[in-house]
Amino acid sequence: MFFRRKDADFQQEIQAHLDLETDRLIAEGMPPSEARAAAHKTFGNVLTAEERMHERSRWMWLEQFVQDIRYGWRGLRKSPAFVATTVLSLSLGISLVVILFAIFNAYVLRPFAVRDPYSLYRIGWNAPEAKGTHFSWRDFLELRGRSDLFDDVTAERIALANSGGRTLVCAFVSGGYFETLGARLVLGRTPAGNEEAVVLSYEAWKLLFQKNPTIVGQTLDVGRRKLEIAGVLGPAFTGLDDSPRDLWVPLALYSPMAQVNLFDPKEPPVLNVVARLRHDVTAAQAQTALTPFMARMVSHPNTSVRAEVTLQATPVTLSLDTLAVLSAPLAAFLLVLLTACANVSNIMLARANARFREISVRLSIGASRGRLVRQLLTEGLLISLMAGILGLALASIGLQAGVDLFVGALPPSAAASIRVVPLEFDHRVFLFTLAAAFGSTLLFALAPALQAAKLPLTDALRGHSNDTRTGSRLRSALVASQVMVSLVLLVATITLARSARALGAADLGIDRTAVVTIRPRVNESPMLASASAALSFDPHIESVAAASIAPLSESSRKIAVSAQRGAGTIGAPYTFVSDAYFQTLHIPILRGRGFTPAESKAEANVAVVSAAAAQSLWPNADPIGQFIHIERPEGQAKDELPGYDAAVVIGIARDVVSTMVFEGPASAHVYFPTNASSSHASVLLARGWSPQQIRPEITQAILQKIHPEPTAFQVMPLEEALALQMFPIRITSWIGSLLGGIALALSLSGLYAVLTYSLSQRRREIGIRMALGASRISIVRLVMAQSMRLAGVGAAIGILLAAGIMKGLSSVVELRNVVFIDMASFAISLTLVLTAALAASLFPACRATGVDPGRTLRVDN
Amino acid sequence: MSTQDNSRVPLLQGTLDVLILRMLLFGSQHGQGIARAIQEQSQDVLLVDHGSLYPALQRLEAAGWISAEWGTSENNRKARFYKLTKTGRKQLAQETQQWRRLAETMGRVLGLENSGS
Repeated sequence: MFFRRKDADFQQEIQAHLDLETDRLIAEGMPPSEARAAAHKTFGNVLTAEERMHERSRWMWLEQFVQDIRYGWRGLRKSPAFVATTVLSLSLGISLVVILFAIFNAYVLRPFAVRDPYSLYRIGWNAPEAKGTHFSWRDFLELRGRSDLFDDVTAERIALANSGGRTLVCAFVSGGYFETLGARLVLGRTPAGNEEAVVLSYEAWKLLFQKNPTIVGQTLDVGRRKLEIAGVLGPAFTGLDDSPRDLWVPLALYSPMAQVNLFDPKEPPVLNVVARLRHDVTAAQAQTALTPFMARMVSHPNTSVRAEVTLQATPVTLSLDTLAVLSAPLAAFLLVLLTACANVSNIMLARANARFREISVRLSIGASRGRLVRQLLTEGLLISLMAGILGLALASIGLQAGVDLFVGALPPSAAASIRVVPLEFDHRVFLFTLAAAFGSTLLFALAPALQAAKLPLTDALRGHSNDTRTGSRLRSALVASQVMVSLVLLVATITLARSARALGAADLGIDRTAVVTIRPRVNESPMLASASAALSFDPHIESVAAASIAPLSESSRKIAVSAQRGAGTIGAPYTFVSDAYFQTLHIPILRGRGFTPAESKAEANVAVVSAAAAQSLWPNADPIGQFIHIERPEGQAKDELPGYDAAVVIGIARDVVSTMVFEGPASAHVYFPTNASSSHASVLLARGWSPQQIRPEITQAILQKIHPEPTAFQVMPLEEALALQMFPIRITSWIGSLLGGIALALSLSGLYAVLTYSLSQRRREIGIRMALGASRISIVRLVMAQSMRLAGVGAAIGILLAAGIMKGLSSVVELRNVVFIDMASFAISLTLVLTAALAASLFPACRATGVDPGRTLRVDN
Repeated sequence: MSTQDNSRVPLLQGTLDVLILRMLLFGSQHGQGIARAIQEQSQDVLLVDHGSLYPALQRLEAAGWISAEWGTSENNRKARFYKLTKTGRKQLAQETQQWRRLAETMGRVLGLENSGS
């Protein structure tokens, strides 16, 4: 049957049947009048047969669906308050998960806006204790020669460049980069391999030139060089990883601009290589084919080097690790959506009960229960579609505000070079929103719909609503679980916020105010020494020290040391420092003395150990004057270690936090002497007379005398290094507070709705109580007790759940300085939730006392 | 308690389809004719609810086992005539066999076979 059979055709057939049957009965001798009736009798209900035929036709569901939508729409239009509350709370929940998905989509799902992104692979190497993705120019040439594996190979070097006082993220790319990728330009052309020209990103074009369409052909100052603007890329392509670039420059310009000879075989490898794999070659085959080359290139002794060829079609490759990292925020965001669903579900349950007359009429005139459920679900679908549209709008606003807030909250030195991938909404985000809307419909509308359809027909006919016991139990369970979710989120948030505060106030052992770290970006050997000299003669600067690593931003390397050769070895982080280090960072020397300038200059074999190291190496002896032995592990590069294998301990320094604040003070730390001219030194630490005198601009001005390029040195206040460390915790606690706040608000409105509804059901009961002499206070107490029971059950389960989650977290995340089971946080959250619940129930409770016993008793319902 | 004549058996679920197919084996027939034929061939034991006959016919038509055409009956009335299709024939053969097996097995389980022989 390829077309729909007309109802009229079917009616005709039944008519024919009745006629034939009548004819037959008459032929058998029945009188005509009786024959007609008998034919009808054997046929049964003609209307039912017609209806069944009608329902069997394939368009039936659509017709009913359209009918349901029309009906649902009419019903919703009649109750705008109901629509407003449900749509609003649901759209909040949906917008949150959409925001999360949009970020996930931009980083993990959306492929680069280039031709055939799924054939792009990043080349790297992997050895048991090291790995890398950097190649020298010669390695790149060799890789590019492998036409048996790759169609094309591109190389890229990211560097920061200064342009009119602004820091730009600059990508130096090999010739044919744009041709290989096929990224779309909105203006101009791509430059030739050795041309002094740049391609701007869309964002940079917007930021620097306000989208001026006549920009092509003009020049842009990049690192004291005038480059012609050749073209502008479209907004979709921002580079082949997760950090967008501002401009693209031919790789040939890297050597003159960075003042490094890229083609010198002695230079360290700096090129990132992305290749387009041939379509007849698999990644595994390429990996095998490249492994001998990598082993030769890395020339690491005693290690097996493997080539790594990994798909680079999206900024972040989807892996189990990415998913694991994302699962915690996903869970939190989903929980909020669930609370929103619980809220809507609750309101719908109440509404279904209030609509029992309508439902009972529909049931008694023969609506099937299945059809009724479908109708109520359709109504839910309408609500969630509206919520989805609103949620999408909210998500778009929220995402923009969130990114602005995120960038604004970054420490200024980091904000200059951190870019966010474009987070626009594409078809994946729309589909996800639709799926979220449909999914939440099932969550919030199914239970109320089934509940409503279970309405016993006897009750329905009596026209008397007995709020079914399961219905009110379901509502209570929903409210209790909302309270539970908000409590869990609040506990997590408050714990996080409190640890962040504790960490921020923690004693690091070093005085970080008025200290900046200075790191040369240009690879010229006398840079550090001349900078150190220039700074120490400047009147703004109190003292300058050189060190092998910057405190609070880099992690120290570790060596094995012992008090006696070969016995009682401990692993300790170590730092090479100049004589002024302890004084610059205000690290007190507890016993003995620090390094003298002479020891620094000579890199003498003396050492200062931390108090903890002294305690564990010489528990019963005076460490001063003892030898500390350095166990040299095989394979470690010589220039990373002191040039001697034992040093005399000359002093004991106070324990300090060497790298991450939440790891707490290092259990042991060893300092060796060095000076700014040594290859061991890589950063300078400068202390100003006051924080005002050591502002980065002032320091940069001093450093300009050494190197005219403004980006030659990176200057970062230690405070900012700390802020950068705290940044993820701060951001997480902000997001957590937002989620917890929304969840709490939702559960309070849920509680409020349930109380209001159950009070409207209990008007009679309250009226009788009041008529029998119950005081207002006792009525308030009655209502409050109900709300506290709900909140209490939810809170109790929430506390247990939160304790379980935090306990689990503390065993997974090893942060020594972070307390996960924080009693104060639990207490604060509990008080907050219960107080809020009390406040939310106060108004319904007071309103309940306004019941006029005389009137309620007279009214039948 | 049923007030119906005990010698009449209401149709089992799912049996109507195979009966209809069987009746059409002898040639095309309209709905009333099929109902009559079932009643007569079962010697009035099987009771066909005429009302449920049509949805069944429609189902079979949708499955492609029968096809329909308007025509005129022997007493010159317009009626919709049903005809067995090729796949319908196959379906009938298959269902007939299934019924035989079912009937035999039921008989054996209920102990009728033994008492009969």
